[in-house]
Amino acid sequence: MPLLSITTFLPLLGALVILVLKPKNLKTTYGIGIGTSALAFISSVLIWLRGIDAGFSQVEQLSWIPSLGIAYRLGVDGISFPIVILTTFLFLTALIYSAKIEKRANTYVMLFLMLEMACLGVFMSLDLFLFYVFFEITLVGMYFIIAEWGHENSKQAALTFFLYTLLGSLFLLLAFLSLYIFSGTFDMRALIANPPLTGLAAALTFWGLFIAFAIKTPLVPVHTWLPAAHTEAPAAGSAILAGILLKLGAYGFIRFSLQMTPGAFQQFAPYVIVIAVVTALYGALVALAQTDIKRLVAYTSVNHMGYMMFGVAAAAALGAGTETPALDGATLQIISHGVVTGLLFLLVGALQDRTGTRDMDQMSGLLKTHPVLSGLFIVAAFASLGLPGLAHFPAEFQIFLGGFEVSPVATGFIILGLLITTAFYLRAIQRVFMGEASGGLEKVADLGPRELWAFIPLLAAIVLIGVYPDSLLSMINATTDLLGF
Amino acid sequence: MTNDLLLILPQIVVLLTAIGSLVAEMMGSARGSLWTLVIGMVAASGVAVSKLGTVTTAFSNTFRVDYLSLWAVIMLCLTILLIAVMARSELKDTYREGTVYSLLIFSTLGALLLAGAGDIMFIVLGILIGTLAGTALIAYAKTDRATEGAFKYYIYGSVTSAVMLFGLTFWVGATGTTYLSALHDPGLGSAAAIFGFGALLVGIGYAGSLVPFHFWTPDAFEGAPVSIAAYLSVVPKVGAVFGLAQVARELPAEVLNWPLVVAAVAVLSMTFGNVVALWQDNVIRLLAYSTVAQAGYFIIGVVGIQQGGLAVNALVVFGIAYAVMNTGAFVVTQSCGPRLRDFNGLGKRHPAMAVGMTIFLLSLVGVPPLAGFAGKFLLFGTAIGSGYTWLAVAAIINSVISLAVYLRIIIPMFFSEPEEAPAAVKPGIRFVWITTFILTIGVGLGLQWFLV
Repeated sequence: MPLLSITTFLPLLGALVILVLKPKNLKTTYGIGIGTSALAFISSVLIWLRGIDAGFSQVEQLSWIPSLGIAYRLGVDGISFPIVILTTFLFLTALIYSAKIEKRANTYVMLFLMLEMACLGVFMSLDLFLFYVFFEITLVGMYFIIAEWGHENSKQAALTFFLYTLLGSLFLLLAFLSLYIFSGTFDMRALIANPPLTGLAAALTFWGLFIAFAIKTPLVPVHTWLPAAHTEAPAAGSAILAGILLKLGAYGFIRFSLQMTPGAFQQFAPYVIVIAVVTALYGALVALAQTDIKRLVAYTSVNHMGYMMFGVAAAAALGAGTETPALDGATLQIISHGVVTGLLFLLVGALQDRTGTRDMDQMSGLLKTHPVLSGLFIVAAFASLGLPGLAHFPAEFQIFLGGFEVSPVATGFIILGLLITTAFYLRAIQRVFMGEASGGLEKVADLGPRELWAFIPLLAAIVLIGVYPDSLLSMINATTDLLGF
Repeated sequence: MTNDLLLILPQIVVLLTAIGSLVAEMMGSARGSLWTLVIGMVAASGVAVSKLGTVTTAFSNTFRVDYLSLWAVIMLCLTILLIAVMARSELKDTYREGTVYSLLIFSTLGALLLAGAGDIMFIVLGILIGTLAGTALIAYAKTDRATEGAFKYYIYGSVTSAVMLFGLTFWVGATGTTYLSALHDPGLGSAAAIFGFGALLVGIGYAGSLVPFHFWTPDAFEGAPVSIAAYLSVVPKVGAVFGLAQVARELPAEVLNWPLVVAAVAVLSMTFGNVVALWQDNVIRLLAYSTVAQAGYFIIGVVGIQQGGLAVNALVVFGIAYAVMNTGAFVVTQSCGPRLRDFNGLGKRHPAMAVGMTIFLLSLVGVPPLAGFAGKFLLFGTAIGSGYTWLAVAAIINSVISLAVYLRIIIPMFFSEPEEAPAAVKPGIRFVWITTFILTIGVGLGLQWFLV
């Protein structure tokens, strides 16, 4: 059974059902949305049960544009599959969380489902052309979600997001065309098996890929679209943006830069390491200066993507054939950041619903009035700052371990970022949750069942990855071993 | 002789249709004139489809039957059919309505002659037929603005054609013949090559609205009926670019570095068109500058024409994509009104049409899997394959600017409140936008069918 195609296009089917039925009440709309994304999640679990090989497995292939060597090719390996399961999982929880949005609910759910299809397609594509098609559809979907359902300045933020990331993806197109022109194929398996480029062409293609993914991830100095987009997007949109869309960049670094232009990446790895360290420290320092809690979480994303990039660049610097935990850590960080930041953004949304503000100075003592919400937020914040036993720790530990072999100095600097992160999270927790409760909030209820249905599974995933990282790591490690990292 | 006539059968069908539709008009039946156009255009493109794959020349090398000229017949005849339907809903029951259909076909014939030109005289003839028919069409509305637009189009046309004719005589003098294939000679004098090519660019630049010969574009578009503006943006441009490709295919690059010249014109057109479009408040003028920019992308295909392979595919696919998506954008504008604020709240008044317009505009930007993306994908591939990576980089930066341009239409459609109550959409307009909508998505997904 073509489970990969089924998983990818189930959400599209759900969107079409809504388009045709045009349900009048919220229950039906969200029922269809949550139902189809739940089915997609189950379908992705079935893919897992069939067994994920180290190399690309469960490949589904159809002829599409044979004259140009383009085909519909889907497949998964130990690097892409964890992100696929993250995608179906996070979309499911985000849709459950969204179920109260009344404004144009049909369009909202349709856009979300379309976005889910595009994200799944990106991570499963084994063809450059197909990858690019899905990659761009994510932009359009996210643009409308931010612009229509976002907060005060959402149109401006959405515009910046669209322009910035379109620039990035067009550089990606150039890089793909150059890979095609020098190899004659769009088949990613062939390009990974025999990286076709050398010399100047490889260097230019590497930097084309780098610009594209650096904007998406984002790395300093091309991160400026991110704080606005995250702050203005609706809570579920921010969760998806941080949890999945940023991973398009992270995944791209591993899948394309590292595997298709390995020589150039190794050559330029020192520069990339510097950018990664600057990104991690910059993200942490700017987060320290925020009073808007959503902006704070947004900047921690920048900080964590710096770690992720550091891990990938460390692996690239060592080159294939050297065993290093750095790449395993970076891949695991993609997943852990997805669940942790996804949960944090949803919690910020719940917080804003209750207090009517995102300004930390105007909140205090929430632990007294809303113990469940506060408790969840504190656990998520601890996970985000890298507490052992929670999701980020095994990932970051391996990144730093691998990074230390390459550059102890850079690792020293980047660990400073951890200190700063701890500082600003503790300060935020003190301000918002400790102290005397501000008046008027006692009557506002704590988390309801809809929110708990969204938050508890995410929390469980955070603890599971923290306590038993091997659930994903064994799969990731098999693939990185095969690749020689 | 018979064989030659059979080879140019599509063009003959177009000519006969033009005459037939004129006769119908003279007999007082505008409806008959329109139906003649519909039947004739379907027949001509049908004949062209049956000939696809033929690569030869007719009438001792003067006319080329190849992918470019055959695809030109298919795409332009079907586009003219859609534009005639648009014109019908806009100009129905005006004085001498049938002449519009006849003139549309005549001008298409001009573009088809350019697209298959194997001889300098066909280039000249093609541009002249296009100019004369186009002038009459722009002036059709008989308003002051229409007259002004037509006047500009005609004056620019006469001057640029004269310059072109003058320069082309250098080629005839240098080679001793009017065949384009005679240019394929490394011994061609560089002075003659420069004069001839420069002059040719003037003429082609006018017809294809390339910078710096685009000045007529916004005024003519604004003055003309919207359906005629749609015609001006598509038909002469495809003819001009294909004509340029037919010449560039022969011209030896070692005598004159013409690819660099064309690349420079491409960058100028893209950048100028997109940047100026950023502050237009009239959608027709915005789309006029956008066609200037799109012409810039289009001639990237000419830059790589001697490398073969991707270039011909790129020209054909982008031509089809451009014809489809641009006609779509114009037909929605015809239905809504020419001012930006006429688009306010279209997403609430006509949600389906607003989605359609969004698809057309995103396709113009080049978002996959739409037709415009397929075209640009092949064009950028051509640029990189011919060693013009910088041209591809310039083109992508321009694509980002163009997104900002087109979002100026998309944003009011969805994020502004409607100013007026929803009005009924005319059946002709509905037919055109739905057809172009399906094609904009279909061409992108079914790219395989359009490749050599």
